[in-house]
Amino acid sequence: MNPLLKVEDLVSYIGLYTILQGVSVEINQGEAVALLGRNGAGKTTLLKTIMGLVDTRSGLIKLDGESLVGKPTYGIAKLGIGYVPEDYGVFDQLTVEENIKIAMWKEDKPTLEKRDYVLDLFPDLKMAYKRLAKTLSGGQRQMLSISRALVNENKIILIDEPSKGLAPVIIERLAQALKEISKTTTILLVEQNFALACAVAERYYMIDEGKTVDDGTIEELKQNTELQRKHLGVI
Amino acid sequence: MKLLKNIDKKTFIAIGVLLVVLSIVPHLAKLSTITLMSRIFILAVYAMSYDILRGYTGFINLGHALFFGSGAYIGGILFTKIDNTMGVFVLAVIITVIYCSLAAYIMGKIVLRGGGVIAAAMITLALGEIARNTAERWRSVTMGADGLPFKIPDIFRDRLGFYYYALIFLIIMTIILRQFILSPTGRVLMAIRENEQRATFLGYNTSKYKLIGLQVAGITSGLSGVMFGILNRFANTDLLSVQQTLNALLITLVGGTGTLYGAIVGSAFVNTVQNYLLDLRSVHPIFERWLLFFGAMYVVVVLFMPEGFVGLWNKYLKDRRTKKNSRVFEKGL
Amino acid sequence: MDIFVTLLINGLAEGALIFLMASGLSIILGLMGVVNFTHGTLFLWGGYIFVWIFTFTNSFILGVLGAIIIVFALGAFFEKFFVSRVYGNVPAQILITLGLQVIFTDLVRLFWGATPITVARPSYLAGTWTIGGVTIVQYRIFLIVVGLLIALGIHKLLSKTKIGMVIRAGVQRPDMVQALGINIKLYFTLVFAAGAALAGLGGALYAPLVGSISSTAGLHNQVLAFIVVVIGGMGSFIGSAAGSLFLGLMGAAVAWYAPSLAVVANVTLMALVLAFKPDGLFGLAVKK
Repeated sequence: MNPLLKVEDLVSYIGLYTILQGVSVEINQGEAVALLGRNGAGKTTLLKTIMGLVDTRSGLIKLDGESLVGKPTYGIAKLGIGYVPEDYGVFDQLTVEENIKIAMWKEDKPTLEKRDYVLDLFPDLKMAYKRLAKTLSGGQRQMLSISRALVNENKIILIDEPSKGLAPVIIERLAQALKEISKTTTILLVEQNFALACAVAERYYMIDEGKTVDDGTIEELKQNTELQRKHLGVI
Repeated sequence: MKLLKNIDKKTFIAIGVLLVVLSIVPHLAKLSTITLMSRIFILAVYAMSYDILRGYTGFINLGHALFFGSGAYIGGILFTKIDNTMGVFVLAVIITVIYCSLAAYIMGKIVLRGGGVIAAAMITLALGEIARNTAERWRSVTMGADGLPFKIPDIFRDRLGFYYYALIFLIIMTIILRQFILSPTGRVLMAIRENEQRATFLGYNTSKYKLIGLQVAGITSGLSGVMFGILNRFANTDLLSVQQTLNALLITLVGGTGTLYGAIVGSAFVNTVQNYLLDLRSVHPIFERWLLFFGAMYVVVVLFMPEGFVGLWNKYLKDRRTKKNSRVFEKGL
Repeated sequence: MDIFVTLLINGLAEGALIFLMASGLSIILGLMGVVNFTHGTLFLWGGYIFVWIFTFTNSFILGVLGAIIIVFALGAFFEKFFVSRVYGNVPAQILITLGLQVIFTDLVRLFWGATPITVARPSYLAGTWTIGGVTIVQYRIFLIVVGLLIALGIHKLLSKTKIGMVIRAGVQRPDMVQALGINIKLYFTLVFAAGAALAGLGGALYAPLVGSISSTAGLHNQVLAFIVVVIGGMGSFIGSAAGSLFLGLMGAAVAWYAPSLAVVANVTLMALVLAFKPDGLFGLAVKK
């Protein structure tokens, strides 16, 4: 089976700095995959490069066999990638409703059903539906950002550190929601919170200094405390 | 000798040769060429004053002609109302210096508050237009839109003689501005241009330094205005207009910003082209519309030659040097 | 009392005209971070095209429509071929729009000459009403109504439509708008052209008010619009509306009570606002 998203030997720069120097990742239809690694390893840049927000120097990125390299960001998104950035990317001056509406490409029945599904998933958003997004808490912003990535029939969603800066209680709720989402959607998740990654993902890739250095199933990593210490500095 | 500290031998010889040529040329040239060259020298100083601002502080002042025009008017008004003597000329210079440093102070106080290149550009455009408007309405002194013709001191009457005064003016101002750039204050200005935030963190009051930069630029611009007025024996509101500011901008852009010398190269290029195009008026009336070409040149430079001539030249030198170095390196292997 | 009503109407009409320019300028600045120095030229083209069509066809409405359409196209041309090449580079944006301003202002002189062209108001707007001893110029009332309608229209557009949503979102996070699958460049062109069309409408309506159009009118009105944008807060639509009204009313009052101060009044106002509120009255932080 061909992978849904295939990244091979990806090299990208920001300004003069090489951030990625040979990353290879494959994600199959229906999987939930975690990108692990230390701060500054290049995980966020990988997501940004996939989205076309950072230019690719060399290597390839393919979604369903179609190359994404050189395509404009909006075109990449339209091919079926939902993106949830690290800082949520929520529009403060828009209401929750508008934030979701702006993400909807169509207003047909399936999209509206998706919207209702998302609002059921995050009741907080339903309650704050008519409020300006700038009044939301960090957790609610995260939920809103994830919701926007879900309202379209996306093939895959990229989520960047959803647990960052959130209270443990919220992280737990978020983990549940992501688990629920992963039943129907392919997910590529950047995460430093190992517990959250374990709860959601089945496989992982380890990135260090801009390269993929290891991969395997989350189960294996759970067993191998040596590897955890080496790459994540946890425990 | 301190002045020559940073100049290498080759450059020194080149400058020497250039000066010798420039002192001989007028004896062989037509009167119109002599006037054109005087114009080039004076507008080079004016453009350098602009470069101090844009090139060294990164701030785009669209009301810069305010100083230039004021200088021309101060000279003209004093020569008319008092007398056209050298004493009055000195007085005009002194008053221009005081007036321009005050005007720059006020302008700086208004502009440097809002912060940001965008706000500064919009506000200075408005300030410049106000100055032009005032001059147009204050007919009793400025003769309004008709312009103010005036008599100049006898010593400046001879075109050939004035050519040398203009050249000396350019040389003196270049030395002064170069010293300013190399001074501690100038260094801070350059640091601000590179990274304003860092300069702030280092404890520099960046607004204060920008204000000093604006004042130096304003005074220089005003003095070049006095000289330009004398060259034309005439001042009008065009000298205060946005167009006049854009002249300086185009000259520094064509020459290369942040280099001082770029202003001289740019002035020579732009004024020569303008002169040539205006000569073509008899060929086709489209050449009446110098501004069309001016604007087109402007857009082309911004899009395709953002570094200007001096920038291109420096790049050429650098490429050559790296090529040479790599050749040496290969030989070493 | 009479004079008060007259000044109020004059000021509001003046304010409405300034608003047509300032609102477009402000929205473009807010969304794209671009100060559009071609705005005065676009205003000028609106005026001249209106006069041109109006003299030919004798139809005021055709003239205004023609001005709007042609200036819209001109704005799209500017954005597509020049401004879009220098997004993110503020000095280059300022310089390139200044260059276009120079070229297109001179083209006006080339096509229509440098001397002012006179133009009359259409017969159905040329009259006056006298109510309780106050003479009211119909054309000024017309301007106020147009200004009000346009303001309401823009407000509705910004708050109720998808385009408005994208504009409001794009002001804050243009990258995220893209990542949601929206081609923001298309909106950039559209907004730039729409802002241009508003300036063109301003020019078209300005000519009959003053009775003539000349090539210097563009810059003059652009300066007023800049002052409004600085006072109102860069990128704020409400700010541009409030600022226009304020400048219009103050202009009318100063012109009546102290005409010699007319020139300095605007700048003094701007300096005062900046002294106390550097971000403008309705300050909205603009990137960079």
